[in-house]
Amino acid sequence: MGLLDSVRGFGLTFGKLFDERVTTEYPAEKREKSERLHGRHVLNRYEDGMEKCIGCELCAGVCPANCIYVRGQDNPADDPVSPGERFGFVYEINYLRCIHCDLCVEACPTEAITESKLFEFSFTSRDDAIYTKDELLVGDDGKPQQLPWEDWRDGEDQHTSAWMRATAPSGDASYEGRVAWAGELGYGTRDPEVGQSGGDGD
Amino acid sequence: MTAPTDADVVPVTVNGVEVEANAGELLIDACERNGVYIPRFCHHPRMKPVGMCRMCLVEVDAGRGASLQPSCMLPCTPGMIVDTESDLTKKAQDGVLEFLLINHPLDCPVCDKGGECPLQDQTMAYGPGESRFVEEKRHYEKPIPISDTVYLDRERCILCDRCTRFASEVAGDPLIHFQDRGSQTQVNTFPDEPFASYFSGNTVQICPVGALTAKPYRFKARPWDLEEVDSTFPNPMGDRVNVQSSRDRVLRIQGVDSDATNWGWLTDRDRFSFEALSHDQRLVTPLVRGDSLGNATDDGDELVATSWAVAVERAASAITASLEAGGAESIGVIGGANLTTEAQYVWAKLAKGVIGTDNVDAQLGDGLPAQVVTALPRNTISDAMAPGSAVVLLVDDPKEQFGTLFLRLRHAAVEGDITIVELSPIASGLGSLVTVGAHARPGDVGAVARAIVDGRTDVEVGGVEPAELQAAAAALAARAVTVIVGRPSVAEQAGPIIDAIAAFTELESVSFLPLLRRGNISGALDMGLTPGMLPGRTTLAEGGEWYRAAWGTVPADSGLDTAGMLEAAVDGSLTTLVLLGADPLADFPDADLASRGLAACRTVIAVDIFASSSVANADVVLPAAGFAEGAGTHTNLEGRLSPLMQKVNPPGTARADWLIAAELAWALRADLGIESPESAWAEIERLAPSHAGATVEQVRAAHDGLVIPRPDDAGADRPAMVSFSAPVPTEIVPVDGYALRLVADRRLYDQGTIVQHCASMAHQSDLARISMHPLDAAALGVRDGDLVRVTSARASIELPARPDRCVPRGRAVIPLNRAGADVRALIDLATVVTDVRVATL
Amino acid sequence: MPKVPLIGEVGRVADEGLEGLDHGFLTGKIEDLVKWSRARSCWPATFGLACCAIEMMAAGGAHYDLARYGMEVFRASPRQADLMIVAGRVSQKMAPVLRQIYDQMAEPKWVISMGVCASSGGMFNNYAIVQGVDQVVPVDVYAPGCPPGPETLMHAILTLHDHIQSGELTRRREPGVEGAGIVIDQRDGQTASQMILTR
Repeated sequence: MGLLDSVRGFGLTFGKLFDERVTTEYPAEKREKSERLHGRHVLNRYEDGMEKCIGCELCAGVCPANCIYVRGQDNPADDPVSPGERFGFVYEINYLRCIHCDLCVEACPTEAITESKLFEFSFTSRDDAIYTKDELLVGDDGKPQQLPWEDWRDGEDQHTSAWMRATAPSGDASYEGRVAWAGELGYGTRDPEVGQSGGDGD
Repeated sequence: MTAPTDADVVPVTVNGVEVEANAGELLIDACERNGVYIPRFCHHPRMKPVGMCRMCLVEVDAGRGASLQPSCMLPCTPGMIVDTESDLTKKAQDGVLEFLLINHPLDCPVCDKGGECPLQDQTMAYGPGESRFVEEKRHYEKPIPISDTVYLDRERCILCDRCTRFASEVAGDPLIHFQDRGSQTQVNTFPDEPFASYFSGNTVQICPVGALTAKPYRFKARPWDLEEVDSTFPNPMGDRVNVQSSRDRVLRIQGVDSDATNWGWLTDRDRFSFEALSHDQRLVTPLVRGDSLGNATDDGDELVATSWAVAVERAASAITASLEAGGAESIGVIGGANLTTEAQYVWAKLAKGVIGTDNVDAQLGDGLPAQVVTALPRNTISDAMAPGSAVVLLVDDPKEQFGTLFLRLRHAAVEGDITIVELSPIASGLGSLVTVGAHARPGDVGAVARAIVDGRTDVEVGGVEPAELQAAAAALAARAVTVIVGRPSVAEQAGPIIDAIAAFTELESVSFLPLLRRGNISGALDMGLTPGMLPGRTTLAEGGEWYRAAWGTVPADSGLDTAGMLEAAVDGSLTTLVLLGADPLADFPDADLASRGLAACRTVIAVDIFASSSVANADVVLPAAGFAEGAGTHTNLEGRLSPLMQKVNPPGTARADWLIAAELAWALRADLGIESPESAWAEIERLAPSHAGATVEQVRAAHDGLVIPRPDDAGADRPAMVSFSAPVPTEIVPVDGYALRLVADRRLYDQGTIVQHCASMAHQSDLARISMHPLDAAALGVRDGDLVRVTSARASIELPARPDRCVPRGRAVIPLNRAGADVRALIDLATVVTDVRVATL
Repeated sequence: MPKVPLIGEVGRVADEGLEGLDHGFLTGKIEDLVKWSRARSCWPATFGLACCAIEMMAAGGAHYDLARYGMEVFRASPRQADLMIVAGRVSQKMAPVLRQIYDQMAEPKWVISMGVCASSGGMFNNYAIVQGVDQVVPVDVYAPGCPPGPETLMHAILTLHDHIQSGELTRRREPGVEGAGIVIDQRDGQTASQMILTR
């Protein structure tokens, strides 16, 4: 080991000083999220402000972590909350259980529940981690509510729509139906991606 | 069951395998019995086939070549070749489903049936997967309420005819029917006539789609949320039920098809009674007397919440004080007929074996003496209604009080060759299905029965014409007779009924079904919760030694019944009263005596699930577990033992009744030695003469329950069981020509605690009315709806009148426990019958 | 009890630490200074239990660089760690180990429950997994996600820093207060005496 070896070692360090920095300076900046990231859920509305959720509990039934609690109720005839007979009377998601697998989104027959791209949030109490309908429901503009303890950035509320996997109603595995993004109220509908077979973007 | 002879067996080839069908059996049933399931919607094993849905089409070759035939309409014939899996069959199933789904809305996510729907399941299993129809579906207003508890959604209906068949064939209330023709066919009620059937909930259960939904369960949960357990509903029939709960709340009760009892049916009152279980007025914590600040004091004006330790100690010290001051006779126990059989035993052991009092009565003056009931030879319901037998009805209207028994009776009367003789004072809901309506005048039923049995049918007896007496005698002749006996009216003492029983015991082939009020009354009488009796249908005299050896102590002399206890309380010789789920203020026929008796008691200890009027006046209140909140065994009118299972936890700190007895015994420095319902049952099996050989395992394992045959000899070491001896006949009260004889009966929906705590039923309890024959009404100048004053020797009440052709001449019917007027004010327990005079106002 | 000029009673300082100091011109901002420095050199103990640990390691790497918060040194010895990041599902067998390491950490110490498995058992609703690490140690911040990304973890860390600096956590740990923050609701009927019925 020569005397100059340690100097050469420092050389590497000093040389790197002038390279481009790789660190993302969170919280000053955030890395871009991938398009299909599963983040915090939102409950969507129709254009007329009606809730899409009909309280069918399919999401709760399919949830592998048992993090969703839904109860339905008869829609009040004079002031309906959602179209149809039934609406989601209680809707709660426990984010200390949710594994963001998106099965709820796939199960939802009305595209009521989708996942946003927001993933930067934390809680100091267990109770805070249970989001109720008040927090999950999108605002009147169709955009997700930005809650004070969540770290939303400009434009991050854009993609709350879900990628709907095309499954056959008969359960046929070889079925290739139309795949598309769920309708998104706040920023409109996104163009569908290319189908599973790599076709012409059906 | 005899071994099938060759004539009974029909060989049929199903999917290439030869199987044996029974003669006359439908192909669909024969296939299912042999493990080949054929999809179906309209077929129901308890109703006649109609072949409406065409789902059960299979390829059948009965000798003339293979063709598609509906297997639910096809009795098996020898040599039939059936293929349920052929391409043709599959194409038919596929096509029928696609056809059924043309107009069926796909709103499964909001449909209560979604997840347990035969249409959904069979579409997944046999359906096409895709529909070729793009046209708009049929639309109706949805949902429409067709009764107080049932909603109808005609869009979902697939016209299977199940609900309409049930209403007309099974329940006899043909209030829903097909209307219109062709593609416009729909099920609906008639205009301005709701589906007001006591059995409407059954149509919801048998509907193969979500067309009929029940209001109490509507949108409460999804099928995959529900946890379920098979249990027994604690009514005198012991109906088998499936209790379903989600998040520790009972949300639905479904009937379970049990050959022996309810055949899958339930009355609406039982089916929807679960609403009361999660009512927010349930008692959830022990209460004792205290001051307005919530402090427990000995003589406060309020009931304040406290801990179990304090409440049990308070109850025990009251019992100890009474024991020291007035002996065991100064303590009484009323009620216990709604407990499990185990809990009844434990309470009997506490009262008779620890405290040492025989003042114990599960019946509130509206039953029959246990010495009579437990001594009678019993029959099973199925045997009683076997073709060729005869049934005598001497009970409350079964349609009002014992719905599933009514359905069995109705089925037997329509389908089976049985004769029904009604001796009850008024006609029951069976109407014209009754062979002979020999409606005996209250007080005279003993004489009427005697006349029928002895064949002295040439003169009119007790308001029954000779022709009817002759018809009744003929209807019973040479048939196995089952007497269904109870108390048709509390305005008539038990004496004449017992006389009638005594007369019928002289028939050649006779057995009895004691049909008394309150859920587990048979268990209570078997377990000795009644004066003079000990567990196992034995008396104090016969079984005293046996139980003294097991328990340590047993009262020497027979004690008081409920009326006697209340009178003893009034004269001060009874100072501590335990109410076991009993509400004498509302339920005892003499309300005045009940209120004076309860007020005079130094300490009233109430064990109940709701704060009834009697409980509100108690000094110590111990909250008990209700139905589905504790396990045990139920005893029905046949003596059939079937398991009651726990599904949810009791609210708050409420405890099982047997545990309350054990705690109380512990506080009295005694150990009952019972740690669980199972250990209680083991003791019953070990000690009770009537229950020898019925182990916990046997009771739990039997789907239809277990009837222990009454042994001729209980075994050398066990005491003898009580036997029936006819008492001195009650004297017949002469008829007062100016008065009507009162019948105080009961209706399904009344002011009872459970009904009134169920949101969907509380409002169905009508106002009290007095019904009388139109000719009697005309003679008195009373028109429909007129307010009349009804006067007995005791009091008078005012209530509206209603002429009713079903009431025989000379009688007046007022239902008990209805809002508006309390018929109990008229009744004097000391007289055999109550005559009332009616005057217009 | 002797009183030191400008600082306050020795006993109070011994009992209550920084909060026991008198507020004078010398000690006025000491508490804030101490909290500031605690927040900025919060050394985590290495406690990776499962897949979340991969994300925790990523947070320490160059792309996210926990060194920016003075947290780059994950300490293998609990004696030198201030913060325990429970990253991953805690099996019943690991629970006592986890508790021992927590006990060996020097005060003041904090806990972040990283990921849903640590927080509530997550999808492992079974007998083998502790259904929430707050049954074993007091948790200050919960990071949701399965697993939480480095940014979620950093969000949790920043939340913790805020709380350290505001002093909320020090106060919360006082005896008799919330403890681990688990509140099991009293069942009906166990509440204080109350009037229910009137005669």
